This record gives sequence, C-alpha cells and structure tokens, in this order.
Amino acid sequence: MNEHGRNRTEEDRIRKLLQKSMPPIEAEPEPSRDLWPAVLKRLNEKQAAPPWFDWALLAGLVGLVAFFPTAIPVFLYYL
Amino acid sequence: MNTHPYLRAYMAGVFVPTLVLPLILAVFTALRLGLGAPFPIERFLVFPFALVPTLFGIWNILYLWSHPRTHLPIGLYGAVLPLFGAPIGALVACCLGLVKFGGHAITYFQTIVVPYAILPLFIVAAMAGYYLVWKYIVGSLNRVLGIA
Repeated sequence: MNEHGRNRTEEDRIRKLLQKSMPPIEAEPEPSRDLWPAVLKRLNEKQAAPPWFDWALLAGLVGLVAFFPTAIPVFLYYL
Repeated sequence: MNTHPYLRAYMAGVFVPTLVLPLILAVFTALRLGLGAPFPIERFLVFPFALVPTLFGIWNILYLWSHPRTHLPIGLYGAVLPLFGAPIGALVACCLGLVKFGGHAITYFQTIVVPYAILPLFIVAAMAGYYLVWKYIVGSLNRVLGIA
C-alpha cells in the first residue's frame, strides 16, 4: 500500500471513530401545537390597563400621604 | 430551564426593597444631616435593611409554594404581608427605642405622633400599597423569571 492509500485508510478510520463518538443530531421535532396564539395572548395580557380599583387605591394612598405628610417616615420605616 | 424556582422567587421578592432602600437611606440621611432631624439613622435602618428584604423574599417563596393549592391572586397575597411585617417592625422599633407607646398615641422617632384612632387607616394604607407593589412589580418579575 502506497503513502496515499495509507492516508486514506487513516482518514476513514478517524471519520468512523468520530461518527461513533458523536451521536447524530436529530432534527428538531415540531411543537405539538401552534404556539403563536399563546404568544399573542401573553402580549395582550401585558397591554391590559390597570382596573379602576387599582387607580382608586393609588389615588387614596397619594391623598393619605398628602393629608399626613409627617407620617411619611413611618411609612418608609415599614416600607 | 425551570430550575431553582424558589431561588428565583426569592430574587424576585427582594428586588423591590433592594431598589427602594437606597432611596430611603438618602431621604433619612438628608433629613438627619441636612435638616438636623433627630432620627437615630443607625437604629432606624435595622428593620428596613435587614428584615424587610428577607420578608419579601420568603413571602414570595411561600406564594410560589402555596399557589397551586390556594390560587390566591398575588396582589391579595402581598396585601397580607403588612399584617405580619408591621408587628415585627413595631417590636424591633420598640426594642431599639424608636417608638414609645403612650395612652392615646404612638410616638415614632421621638417626633411623629400617631394617634391610635388613625392607626387602622395607616395599616389599610400599607396593605393597599403592598397590594399594588405585589400585583404590578413582584407579579411581573415572577412572570419574567418564569415562575408565575
């Protein structure tokens, strides 16, 4: 066997060893369902405006702090 | 990817106090050093700095743990926290000499007098504030961290 043939055999052996040690990469399986509606739903949830009740609570808190400004350190103490 | 959910819950919980506390420190430093207000800052900081972040973190861990059973909205769950935090804070303040209980009022930091009659209003206000913080900040952080 000449030099070229020996190199070829060596390359084949290395290729087989590499293929043996590294498992073949399987194709990514398709998701079982369409994920886009879930993404849209999540985006819509984020854009939902706070309900009036939360605005009323916030206004009440601001009003209380304005009415009792000396109590601010007490609120800060309790965070 | 859904690993260490309780660690992430703790991190989401401590986020708000960690963000707000330096601002509180700045306000009190300005009051104390700038305006000469008689607040003992070093004693004042014990509760907000050492206990409040831990309370938030542990409360969020408890929320994550109990939510599959209780299905309680996070806002309402957070609103309950002052009912536990306020007595602890008052106890710490009492032990450190920051608060005095009088016949008709509580005196905070030797200057701020809070009559017992309006104390329930303050507690309700604290619960409302916690409700909003937990609903909109901690809740959204939980979603971002993939634990909500």
